[in-house]
Amino acid sequence: MSENKKMLKIFVFISILFITVICYLSYFEIFLKEEVVNNSYNKRMWITSSDRLRGSIMDRNGEVLAYSTFNNDSSQTRIYPYDELYCHVIGYNSNIYGNSFLESKFQKELTGDMATNKLLDIKNLILGNEIRGNDLVLTINHDLQTKALELLEENSGAIVALDPNTGEILSMVSNPGFDPHSDYIESNWSSISTDDNSNLMSRAIQGTYPPGSIFKIITSTAAIESGLDEYIADDQGSVTIDGKIYSNAGNEKYGIIDLGKAFSVSSNVYFASLAIELGSENLLQCALDYGFNKPIDFDLNVKKSEFSTKAFTDTDLASTGIGQGITMVTPLHMALVASAVANDGIVMEPYLVSAVMASDGTQITKKSREKLFDVIDKNSADILKKMMIDTVETGTGKKAAITGITVAGKTGTAQNEKSDSEGKDHAWFVGFAPADDPQIAVAVFLEYSGSSGGNAAAPIAGDLMEFYLK
Amino acid sequence: MFEILASFLKYVFIIIIYYFIYGIIRLIYLDISTTTHTGRSLSSKDPYLKLINRRESLNFKVEESYFLDSTKTIGRSNKNQIIIKDPFLSSEHAEFVFKNNYWYVFDLGSKNGVYVNNLKVEDIGQSLNDGDTIHLGQLDFIFVDQFDRSDR
Amino acid sequence: MNGSNSIFKPVRMVLLFNFLAFILMYFYGSENSLNVLLLGLAVIFTIGILYHIIKVYDWGDEYLFLIASMLCSIGILMIYRLDPDYGIRQIKWFGLGTAVFFLTFIFLGKTKFWSSKPMIYAYPLISIFLFSVTLIFGQRIGGAKNWIEIFGINVQPWEIIKLLYVFYAGLFFSNRELIYLPTVNLKGKAIKINSIFLFSLISYVHLGFLVLQREWGGAVLLFLIFFSFLYAFDNHRSFLFVNGVFALVGGFVGYLLLDHIQVRIWTWIDPWSDMAGKGYQITQSLFAIGAGGFFGTGIGLGNPEIIPEVHTDFIFSAICEEMGIFGGVAVVLLYFLLVYRGIKISLRIDNIFYKAASFGITAIFGFQTFIIIGGVIKLVPLTGITLPFISYGGSSLISTFLALGALQAVSMKNSFSASKVVEADE
Repeated sequence: MSENKKMLKIFVFISILFITVICYLSYFEIFLKEEVVNNSYNKRMWITSSDRLRGSIMDRNGEVLAYSTFNNDSSQTRIYPYDELYCHVIGYNSNIYGNSFLESKFQKELTGDMATNKLLDIKNLILGNEIRGNDLVLTINHDLQTKALELLEENSGAIVALDPNTGEILSMVSNPGFDPHSDYIESNWSSISTDDNSNLMSRAIQGTYPPGSIFKIITSTAAIESGLDEYIADDQGSVTIDGKIYSNAGNEKYGIIDLGKAFSVSSNVYFASLAIELGSENLLQCALDYGFNKPIDFDLNVKKSEFSTKAFTDTDLASTGIGQGITMVTPLHMALVASAVANDGIVMEPYLVSAVMASDGTQITKKSREKLFDVIDKNSADILKKMMIDTVETGTGKKAAITGITVAGKTGTAQNEKSDSEGKDHAWFVGFAPADDPQIAVAVFLEYSGSSGGNAAAPIAGDLMEFYLK
Repeated sequence: MFEILASFLKYVFIIIIYYFIYGIIRLIYLDISTTTHTGRSLSSKDPYLKLINRRESLNFKVEESYFLDSTKTIGRSNKNQIIIKDPFLSSEHAEFVFKNNYWYVFDLGSKNGVYVNNLKVEDIGQSLNDGDTIHLGQLDFIFVDQFDRSDR
Repeated sequence: MNGSNSIFKPVRMVLLFNFLAFILMYFYGSENSLNVLLLGLAVIFTIGILYHIIKVYDWGDEYLFLIASMLCSIGILMIYRLDPDYGIRQIKWFGLGTAVFFLTFIFLGKTKFWSSKPMIYAYPLISIFLFSVTLIFGQRIGGAKNWIEIFGINVQPWEIIKLLYVFYAGLFFSNRELIYLPTVNLKGKAIKINSIFLFSLISYVHLGFLVLQREWGGAVLLFLIFFSFLYAFDNHRSFLFVNGVFALVGGFVGYLLLDHIQVRIWTWIDPWSDMAGKGYQITQSLFAIGAGGFFGTGIGLGNPEIIPEVHTDFIFSAICEEMGIFGGVAVVLLYFLLVYRGIKISLRIDNIFYKAASFGITAIFGFQTFIIIGGVIKLVPLTGITLPFISYGGSSLISTFLALGALQAVSMKNSFSASKVVEADE
């Protein structure tokens, strides 16, 4: 009967629909799921499972930086013993407003949802032990972190210190911060989330700022790489390019100077002329080598540093060469620039979490050290290092000097939207020490400091490195 | 307590449901090949044997109907024209023959015999009329003959 | 002697599933009420006894009820886990559903009333009456105006109407030659109107009411059923084609004119851009499915309650979260088996009324399942419709069991007619 044949075709059609459903479900599970589940709107990411205690977070020496306890009603309270100190590293964890920073990025590990051994859970349950998520071990040095925030005082800004040989973040602070405890977050959410001071934002990784003269490290690198390291200019305190006047800080005149001298005294006249000589191609290539416009793989989300790829006029080029213009950088990235020079031209991938530990002490994952950028060869790095040592010994960075230890560095004073009206430049210092065997690279950034990098940022960097090395 | 139970049972539930599905698919497999044969009954004037048993309850492959367009033997062995792997059938069990304007069934010396309308078929065979029931092995058939042979 | 004697018979799997499920429910929540264990025993006995009655008295297909019981059992477990009160109510609805199944089977099996010719007028008239009542007294729940309150109970008339429509279609196709339509004189030529136009007209009236009620899932379902009937029981390919074009144009015009449809299409294409608003349901559903993995979190250990309407339209997402992709695929396979049995029943019966009615019911099961599962996994645009046998709700469960009872009655006629198929049809 023809009806039967046609009914069979309808049946085949329904079967195809069902098979499509099954295939799509499998496809979703295997390929799409990861992206979907990690969406920040997924409340499952926030809900602390009431039965499993959220894991603790410790510094490199086992100092506990965050832990949870059960309440009577089987809910949990997250405790941060050092309050604001780690607010931009560990972040907060709220059942209402979700979580941020490591609490968010390592949610799965901390709650044990994905990475926990289920058999261990059952064993603990039977033995009556607490069921716990996994613990995180950080690369942070708690003493250094404390010192960094102390040195920052009331200044708005950020300090990043890392080990240039490994990429381990030793300390990362940002001001102003907030109390990460959930009761504070939940009762002050509207004020802190809309505050003009952007308390919730980490200035170390989420804010981008004009680099000022520390960008001269990149301009110098471009000069060395393109054979212009012998370039000489007659510095008469100011130079006019296409009608725009570029002058040195304090209108100092340095006369005929070479790259090394110009670098240590931070001559704007020299570097503006050098940038014109280099051309935008060379400068752009060098910036890209240093990681501008590229995402930085890190345990937290880092904003990209921006270097314009549009066509440059001569004034654009001159401004960029001295770190003004439209170039924008993050403090973390500038610490990495210093680490490139410290580590013979190689930037190691920065990381915060060195290991994830199960509650019975077994190590689940360990971070392996990886190269992030291969910027320059050792010879160029050595030339730059020499220039940076001179800067601290005889140039603008004298206040970063440490007795008995050779420090290399570069200062920066960056104009911004408040420079002309209120005279509030940003102050920068990047550097590392000891220069012959670098153990620590730092970036100090003081937002709207009103003072120069040499006067405001350099002493902080010096004190911090001295604290760490002694 | 609930959690241990739930995290254990989630595997058990899946296994149970799939075993259930397997059980039903297995039965579907046994009869799927015959689903498309049903169309022939109205177009043919040949008599046929119609199975009364539910095929799902039988553990071997059996068609819904067998057409008798020529002499046919039935049994387990592959020599037969109608092969059914019913363990209660003999290897050559019975024969259907058309002679003198009638269809006859003969027992080919089977162990369990052939029954027409519940009467055992003797050596001389048994003529068949429309609507007769034929029992052999575990199987029950109806002999369907729409063609009025008395006119011939 | 054969495999059906093994302890792993399908019916035992259903009973074992329920046994374990009710033990789990007993431990779920803080009450540990014995009540749920007693209800569990009642469910197990109901399924066991009814199955054996079907088998012993040879009431036709023995698997329809088994597959439906397995689906209901999964539904009950899931709904109880979402809300024990709803779960208890669903168990009671299930009990009532099996009673309806039983009575429908007896009634339709013993009487010819439902296939008698006068009903060809009664079915559409009752449907239109019910539609009108819904439109006038209906309450708008979740966008669609499809509920009426009778004696304090919310009833969804559409659930019954879809069965009436299928019965109507059965009567129409078995009595086509009797349907009188006037001939039309066009430019002196007498043109006899094909009776299929009448069937289409009735179908489009149904469709119109569903659109007025904003019951989009129902409208899509009805159109698919209508189309399947046209395809299987009518030989006018060009008419089928015209209806297909008509549907496409209608859908497109609807898309242009109706904000609701645009929203549905856009939240299907990109739910992520408005996750807090219009895309909320579907994204929450996808989060749930993603959270499950292959084996699920385990019953009671996930967070499906975050999804709005999780116990009705989105129950499949909850199953995927807590029973995993394997659980979800198993559910789809169960529906596949159900549809397979249904199609098989309608293939074997020769009477056109029974053939069309059982085919229509089977198509409802198949398409309704696809529309809602495809919707919640974002394979097709989401239109609210219940998942047969699993979703929470009396109207849905009762009408589905009514349909199953009718299917069972047809399968019984099937085996009954086997012995005298010749006389019956010649």
